[in-house]
This record gives sequence, structure tokens and C-alpha cells, in this order.
Amino acid sequence: MTLTLSRLVAARREKLPRRVRWLRHLGLTAVGALMMYPLIWLVSSSLKSSNTVFTDEGLWPHAWAPGNYPRGWTSLPESFDVYLINSLIIVTLSIAGNLMSCSLAAYAFARLRFTGRRLFFALMLGTMMLPGHVLTIPRYVLFDKLGWLNTYYPLLVPHFLATNGFYIFLMVQFMRSLPTELDDAARIDGCGPFRTFWKVIMPLCLPAFATTAIFTFIAVWNEFFEPLLYLTDPQLYTVPLALRQFMDSEGQSQWGEMFAMSFVSLAPVIGFFIAGQKYLVKGIATTGLR
Amino acid sequence: MNTVDRRGALKLAGLAGLAATLPACGRGFGGGGDQKGDAVELNMVWWGDAARAEKTQKALDLFHTANPGIRVRTEYQDSSPYKDKLVTRFAAGDPPDLMAMRTDSLREYANRGALLDLAQQGGKLDLSGLTDSARGLGVVGRQNFGVPSGLNAIGFVVDKALTDKFGVQIPDGDTWSWEDLATFAKQVTTASGGKVYGTNFEVWTIANLIVWTRQHGEDFYTADGKLGITAATMTGWLAMVQKMRADKAFPPAGFIDPNGGASAAQSYIAKKAIASQIIPTNNFLTFDKVCGGQLQLLRIPGETQGARRGQSIDTPALWSVAAKSKHPAETLTLLNFLVNDVAGAKAAGTTRGVPASRPVATAITPGLETDDQRASAYLAELQNEKLPPSYSYPIGASKLTNILKSISTEVEFGRKTPAAGAAEFVDAGQKALSA
Amino acid sequence: MRKDRAAYLFLLPWLVGILFTVGPFVVSLYLAFTDYNLLTPPHWSGLANVREMIGDVHLHQSLKVTFIYTLVSVPLSLGAALAVAMVLHRGVRGLAVYRSIYYLPSLLGSSVAIVMLWRYLFGYQGVVNQFLGRLGIQGPGWTSDPHFALSTLILLHVWTFGAPMVIFLAGLKQIPAMYYEAAAMDGASGWRQFRSVTLPLLSPIIFFNLVQSMIASFQTFTQGYVMSGGTGGPAESTLFSNLYLYQKGFGELDMGYASSLAWLLLIIIAGFTAVNFLAARYWVFYEN
Repeated sequence: MTLTLSRLVAARREKLPRRVRWLRHLGLTAVGALMMYPLIWLVSSSLKSSNTVFTDEGLWPHAWAPGNYPRGWTSLPESFDVYLINSLIIVTLSIAGNLMSCSLAAYAFARLRFTGRRLFFALMLGTMMLPGHVLTIPRYVLFDKLGWLNTYYPLLVPHFLATNGFYIFLMVQFMRSLPTELDDAARIDGCGPFRTFWKVIMPLCLPAFATTAIFTFIAVWNEFFEPLLYLTDPQLYTVPLALRQFMDSEGQSQWGEMFAMSFVSLAPVIGFFIAGQKYLVKGIATTGLR
Repeated sequence: MNTVDRRGALKLAGLAGLAATLPACGRGFGGGGDQKGDAVELNMVWWGDAARAEKTQKALDLFHTANPGIRVRTEYQDSSPYKDKLVTRFAAGDPPDLMAMRTDSLREYANRGALLDLAQQGGKLDLSGLTDSARGLGVVGRQNFGVPSGLNAIGFVVDKALTDKFGVQIPDGDTWSWEDLATFAKQVTTASGGKVYGTNFEVWTIANLIVWTRQHGEDFYTADGKLGITAATMTGWLAMVQKMRADKAFPPAGFIDPNGGASAAQSYIAKKAIASQIIPTNNFLTFDKVCGGQLQLLRIPGETQGARRGQSIDTPALWSVAAKSKHPAETLTLLNFLVNDVAGAKAAGTTRGVPASRPVATAITPGLETDDQRASAYLAELQNEKLPPSYSYPIGASKLTNILKSISTEVEFGRKTPAAGAAEFVDAGQKALSA
Repeated sequence: MRKDRAAYLFLLPWLVGILFTVGPFVVSLYLAFTDYNLLTPPHWSGLANVREMIGDVHLHQSLKVTFIYTLVSVPLSLGAALAVAMVLHRGVRGLAVYRSIYYLPSLLGSSVAIVMLWRYLFGYQGVVNQFLGRLGIQGPGWTSDPHFALSTLILLHVWTFGAPMVIFLAGLKQIPAMYYEAAAMDGASGWRQFRSVTLPLLSPIIFFNLVQSMIASFQTFTQGYVMSGGTGGPAESTLFSNLYLYQKGFGELDMGYASSLAWLLLIIIAGFTAVNFLAARYWVFYEN
């Protein structure tokens, strides 16, 4: 079947005349240039000195300041690799937590019938709807009572407890779009819900998992406010907190260093996306369907 | 099922394993907190950037040497996240011991019992080196809730490189009037062929407006914590700017992004888009550096023509102590060090303004960079003159900047007349202060 | 009920987590009916906050801004995401490269560096206006002019269409090939295949993106915050409801009123989401 599909896709690709394909690439590249612009600008800014970064407006710096990189790396209270490692620890655990807890919950919502399903589902969606600012103080008090301030627990534990409805809802929608015959077939083979989840649904939801992992990575990697509140020891700071330490919006700022380290901190995200995106396409179409 | 499945499962198991082992590493998971048992630990927080942090840490190292029984755990952020974290910690009953406090938020905290009254602390805190006006910055009635972390004022900077280039004479900075500013600015714009605008200052910054109000014989904030500016004075402020805008002395509507950041490197004067602006004097060195070293520091216009003097001595931030601090005595020792220790002040530099204590300021001035010395001299002269008293910002004062920013933008784009904008501001301002 | 027990086991982490969430929720609901300045204990004020909301012109402005933003930016960004996903899905050489590049803006987040970029692009003397100037047009200050600031923010949101696009692409890959084969055997091609195979089978994912984007869009905060320095300016033209709420709670220390605003927003969002779910019965196609 996989073979037939690729032949089908190939057939479809061939159908387009050469000129149309060229035009399409041209269009895609033009849009791509717009998308690439910020990255190029960031690299250029990271190579200008703090004093001239806003006055030297061209993309090609007049005076090069590669010193921003070593200076940015070392001029905060901790060396920048400390912040990168902290962020990587938090991100890795958050992804693991989200994948496990949200896929379990999503499977129950998507494929099982149980008492209170609709109510719980509505509750789950409801938790996405209240603006977070008003939860700040009660959550801070809660984590203080638990003795979790200045640790990573307030940032991690919620991920292991599926508190972000976004990922549950995402997986629910993916699971619901899988044919029900799969479950029936598994049941006839004698699989209980756990085996069905593990052996049938999970592998087919790889794109949803990859999406969740990528989105979690980006959200957690860029998160500023929560680490700001819960971490007080500079040794524990994450990358966004560190980046913000280069600047004081009312006084002076080390712009060059900030841009340089901003670029450095993008590398893991981009790397993770490029590594993870091949799983985005490992859907039913490639794993086959019996 | 096939290999993809098994590999996926393995990876998941691997991640789970990682999750289980990493917490054992300690950092960030409650372990490894090896506190020195005998030292009292203080928590001190402020806003600023890494450069300020480095200087502050040098001062604290001196403090640690002198006071081995006290350890200071510091934390700093950019000003706006700083504010959010500070109030969250107070609300949750977990305030820092010593903190930087904005002048316009002081009474919001003090009047609600969150801060320690420093006037009650007897000999632990020596404020005798401060002038009355400097000490008055943290005073609310008979109580004192903050000590200035340094002193500054606002000043008018003019880029002499530009005025020389266009052959425009800079007026005398001690005696110039607002009309002189308008004439001068118009000359610059004309001479530059419209490439450089003569001046721009933040219409919505309360500190600027306060000087204008005082020059007109009114108190912006009155002694009893009300809004003192009249609609007429306010109209004058907005109308003056609109007039300059119409004359092209001021940039056109929308030219300046009011939220573009106030730092020197981002400023329009650094980009040579304008020739003069108002800055806090403690930033003079940074501004002069990014502008190419030709800045002149002038007083605010209108000081010799108005009903009375308008300029005043201000502070970029106050130091306050939390009422709930578990170690008030040690915190006061630290605060006393920051105010009175010459070596500490030398290490900390002038990023927070000129030291509030005059003997300390005199002692460290010779060692400062030239531009810092110029800013210090500017301030010292002001301190020697008789300036009308100013009163602490009342509760609700921190709302006024946003209100004024919104109204001044409407006036800028001609959606409201200066008179209508002024009436609206006075009305909204009075409500904000009484709520 | 054995079936229930299995389901609850799957839900166990979530059920524990909901306890974490519900506590702060209840507290904020209580605070919505109090006067609370964060520094002294809250005291009950009944419906005073609700009464204040009725006459609060800033709130009304903020709701207007939020509605316009949501109703314009959600369809635009989802439309762009779906269109590009379809083009890429049809098999383009260099798919992975395009996908990465298009996703780039979503990776960048709203960091300080990126905000600087926007100023640089959209300022009065920015890159966009320099370009327009060459055509003889003096452009406005795209972020400093109250007539244009919100449109600029909408444009920037659409520019991050990469995130829903990735979800669409994942959804497209999920469609079993047998459906396309069957359609091809029936002689359906191009537009017909899109209408009768892709659209219905992708509908759960479209639905997800729609519901999710609307919920997120009604709570837009960071964009407005970083762009206007937290003020919602120029002249309240980007005063999103969530930003106004933050100003009230953290800026003016009126957390009681901020909590009321939060619950008002929750009610509005819940209403829109409910409508979405009701409408879904007519266009979303599930396997079971």
C-alpha cells in the first residue's frame, strides 16, 4: 500500500507542468525570504557594538563587534552555558511529562466511554480560558506552602500532571481522526485498553507527539514569567531570564551581548525542530494500515 | 507492529528514565542548598542591568568582608518584571529584606503597612549626610520609608556636534526660556533641511511636567497628596508642544514611538534624528558616549522666567526595608553601609545617581569619569540653590504616566485639542489619586 | 464499572493536576467579588466590581480591540496556514527546508530581540517606510500611530502562521492513503479530492486549530505588552483585555477588579467555544 501511495504522489507531482512548478518554488522562496529576515537581522545585530546597534542601520555592520559573543557568554553572574543547561533540563523534563500525561488523558477522552466524560472534557477546556495573571498569586502561595520556591518543581510538576489543556485537546483531535476499526481489531485480538493505547494508537499518533514535543520545547524554552517568579538563585536561571539581565529599559543596556546570546539561544530550538520534524510526517500514510 | 513503534517506545522509556534520574543531580530540585549555618542571610533586590549588577556586587563584597556575620543574597531584573515579582512576593507574604522602590510606588506600599518606618530606627541608620530635600524623598508625613539610592535631576542635553554642523548657537543653559528653546529648535530643523529636528522630549513623563508645573507656581502633587496642576497650566504644556510641532521644531506626529525604550542607545538623539532632549542626569555619561561625546548639559528652560524655580532633586530609586523583614537590624546595617561607606560608594559608582550623602559624594567625585563629574557638578549646583519643596508621590501616582501618555498621543494626532486633553487629564488624574 | 476504572486510570495524572488548577481558580473567583490591593487582605465588596465594569470605558475599548483582533487575525492566519500546508503537502522538492523556514517566526517567540526588530522595521524611519519613501510615499509610524498599530499587530500575528501550519501538515499526513486511492479510482482529482477527502478528514484538526486559536487570541497578551511597553498604546489602540487586566492587577494593584475582568473574559471565551462546538456538529467529521 505504501508503494501505491508513493506512486500516486509521484503521479500527482508529474501532472504539474514545469513552469507551474517553477512559479510555485518562486512563490515559496519569496515568502521564505520574509520569514528568514528576522534571523538575518538578528545575526547582523549581534555583530554590532552596543552603542551603534540602533544607529548603524544596514544589515551589513560598519564596524564588526564579534566580541559580543565571548563577552555575552561571560558577563552575567553565571557563565551562559549554565543558563543553557538549566533550560535544557527543564525543557527535556517538560516534554517527557507532557507527552506521558497528556497522551494518557487524551486517549481516555478520545477513545473511551466513561461516566463524566463530557463534564471533564469541558472542565479541561475551561482551564485554558482563564487569563493566567489572576492565578499568579494563589499559585505562588501554593508553591511557597509546598516549599517549592527556588526549585524547578513549580515549572515541571504541572507538565507531569497534564495541566495544559492545549496538548490534551491536540492529541484528542488526532486520536479521534483515526479509524475506529483499529480499536475493534485490537479488541478482537484480545487487547485491553492499555495494550491498544500502547500498541495501536501511540505509534499512529507520532505526528501529534512530535507536534506536542516541538510546541512544548518552544513554549518552555521561551517562557519568561514563571521562571522569573519562582527562581531566585541566579544559578538556576533559565535562558530568557538571563537574556533579560543584559538590559534595563530605563537605563543602560548591553544590547550587543543581548543580541549575540539571543542568537545562541535560538540554536537549540531550531536544532530540535529540524531533528523533530521528520516525525511530523510519520503518520498512518507511512507506517501503513492493516 | 513494526520497528518505528518499538523505537518510539524505547525513546519514551528513555525520556522517562531521564526524568527519574535528573532530579538526583540536585541543582534546582531542592538539594544542594548548602547554607552557611551561622550567617544571617539577607535578600536584597533591585532593577538594572548586568553592568550595574557587577558594580553592586563589588560594593557588597566589601560589605561581606566588613560584616562576616551577614550574607547578602541579591537578585535583579529589568524594571518592569522587577515590579511584578516584587508585588507578588509581598502579596504572598514572602517579601525581600531590602529593595529598590520606585518613587511613584512608595506610598502604595508604605501606606499599606508593607514597609519599615526608618524614622523609628534610632541610631542604626545615619542619614545626617543627606540634605533635607534628599531625605525628604522617602518621607511620608512624619515617617520615613525610603532612602534615596542616589540623586539625580533632569537636564536638557544638546548635541553640539549637530548644532556646530548647522551653525546654530546654543542658548545660555542657565537662563534660557521655553521660547528660546522653540526658536533654537526651529533654527536647527531649518538649517538641517528638515533632516534633524531641533528638539524632542517626552511630553508624558511626569518628571518633565512637574518642572513645568512648579515654574507656574503650582505643585503637581500637593502636600496633602492631591493633584495640584490646574487645567490652564496643563493646557499650556500641551499647547506649547503642539506649537513647536507645527513649527517643525518638534518631530511630526507618529515620528517618536512613545514605547520605543528610553535607553540611550535606542534614543533618537543617538540616531541623530533630533538635536536635543531631556534626560535623567545619572544617564548623562551613557548618552554622551552613544552620541559621540559632544553633548552639552543644560538646565531645563524657563528657570529664570517662571513664577518660581521648577527643577528639583530626585532619585532614580529609593532603598526600602520590608516591615516583615526577619532581620531588620542586619538589613539596616546593610542600608547604612550603602548610604555612608565611601569605599562601597566608590565601588558602586553612579549608576543609581550621585551618592545621597554629601560627604560621600564629595569623597568619590574626583575618581569619577569626566562625564559623571559634569553630571555631579550640575546636581551639586542645584543642591546649593534654594528650590521650592516637593512632596512625595501619592497613592495612585503610578497610574498617571499611562493616562498622560494616552491623552498626549491623542493631542499629538490632533484628535483632541490641548485644552480638551488638559481637562481630561486633570479629571482622570484627580480620580486616579482619590481612588 | 470496569470500563470507567480503566478510563480513570488513564486520567489519573490529569485528575491530580486538576486539583492544582482548581484551587487557584476558586481563589480568583472569590477575589472577583472583593476589593484587593495585594498588600492588605482582600475584603468582600459584593457586586461592586461588576458595577464598575459597566461604566468602564477602558474595558469597553479593550473588548473592542480584542474582538477586532480575534475576528480578523484568526481566519487570516489559519487560512494562510492551511493554504501553505496544502501546497507543501502536495509534495514539493525541499519540503523540509520550506517547512523549517516558514516555522521560523513561530520559533522566535516575542523575545526582547524580536521586539527590537519590529521597531526597526515598522518605525517612522524604519525599513518599511524607507522602502515606501523610495516610491514617494511617506508612511506612518506603524506602531506609534493609533490608526495603524493594531493592524500592524494583526499582520505580525499572521506572520506566525507556521505554528498552525505544522499542525495541519501533521494532520494531512494522518489521512490514510486508501481514501485518496479510492477517490482517484473514482476519477476525482484536484479540487474534488480536496473537497471530498482532505477537508472532511482534516476537519477535526481544522476544528482544533480554530478553537485553540480563538481561545489564545482572546487572551492575547505578550504581543501587545512588548509592543506597547505594557501601556496598550498608542492611545489605547492595542489595549487587549488581558493587557488591561494585567495593568489593573499588577500596575494599579487592583487585583479584585482584575479577577472580575478575568472571569468576564472566561465567560466570553467559553461562549465562543460553546458556539464552535455546536457548529462543529455540522462540519466536523469524526471516525467514531
